[in-house]
Amino acid sequence: MRNEIRQAFDEVHASRELKDRTRERLARRMRRGWPAAGLRPVRRGLAAAAACLVLLLAGAGGSWLYFTPTAAISIDVNPSLELEINRFDRVIGVEGYNEDGRALADQLDVNHLNYEQAVEEILNSAVIAALLARDEVVTITVTGTDDRQCGRILSEVEMETAQSPNIHCHGARQEEVESAHDCGLSYGKYRAYLELQALDPDVTLEEVQEMTMRELWERIQALSVGTQSQGQSGGHHGEHGYGHGGGH
Amino acid sequence: MRSEEEVHTAIERYGDTVRRLCLLRLKNHADTEDIFQTVFLKYALSTMRFDSQEHEKAWLIRVTLNACKDLLKSFFRSRTVSLEELLDQPAPEAEEKRTWVLEAVLSLPQKYRDVIYLHYYEGYTAAEIGGILKKNVNTVYTLLARARQQLKELLGGDGDEE
Repeated sequence: MRNEIRQAFDEVHASRELKDRTRERLARRMRRGWPAAGLRPVRRGLAAAAACLVLLLAGAGGSWLYFTPTAAISIDVNPSLELEINRFDRVIGVEGYNEDGRALADQLDVNHLNYEQAVEEILNSAVIAALLARDEVVTITVTGTDDRQCGRILSEVEMETAQSPNIHCHGARQEEVESAHDCGLSYGKYRAYLELQALDPDVTLEEVQEMTMRELWERIQALSVGTQSQGQSGGHHGEHGYGHGGGH
Repeated sequence: MRSEEEVHTAIERYGDTVRRLCLLRLKNHADTEDIFQTVFLKYALSTMRFDSQEHEKAWLIRVTLNACKDLLKSFFRSRTVSLEELLDQPAPEAEEKRTWVLEAVLSLPQKYRDVIYLHYYEGYTAAEIGGILKKNVNTVYTLLARARQQLKELLGGDGDEE
């Protein structure tokens, strides 16, 4: 029996990919400094406990603590929508920034979920999954008033989406996000809009609102190549100057 | 906190062990990835000084089993996949017997799976298993005896040793 069991388990190995992915994910954490409570199951438990505590507080008149957004996660493909996150990492609002975004927001039921679950649910939704399958580009932007919370959220979201080459994550300043909202755009699209506008002053907000992120990037890239007369390497980011990491 | 280099060495050295424990405890590959991250992050953050590689390995086994237990308690996970998917590969015919043995071990109740693996594969004694699983040594003897009996029945009664 011993030999059979040994032979059976000898066949089971951690694949090269699994080891490499683990190394990459840990290295990303290492670069940001190790968070105190970075363990997923533990964190979920704590988040749930925090949510219960918050409900108690809310009952005692502390609901403003729970219902005040401290961060926002903007998700742009063509549906553009934004999640409002409170200090307890819970989603307290979903807003669509264009027609598709509003339609998607209506279908979603992510209020009061932890932001990670909400982002996961959105990226796995039929609409977004289909767009990703078509190689569309998703931009996720994290912003807010609490730098530490934003840094943490950005780091988690980056890690959750690290395996998807078409999903890009950024941090942004609160003022920039407010300017984006004034224009009726979610932040990810607003940044692309500014870049495109610098290259093509005739572009209008209405036009941009209905374009997908991929269309925007392609147009920016085409114009950049034209104006700078030099080839730029592939990818949707480096060449457009989007800062990675906690850019708050 | 350990250096990146130390963590990389641990992933290389103990990755297979963590993977096998995940197979014993989990039902899908995405969870395995989470456990890898959790376990090696904990390792990286730990200030524990190990007397030997054996000590280090026993610590990692305990951390992995606890991490799996925590994950299984999480109500967000419920997906299950086939053994082939869990193994990342189809089972070729030559491997059928091994897969069959593996399936037999995995079909045992959780508490039996752990002791069978730790005793027969990792070579731990009942006392050592008691230390890892935080169980009384007599309980481990009982678990081992029952696990062995069930496995013999599943494998057609050709168990030949202790």
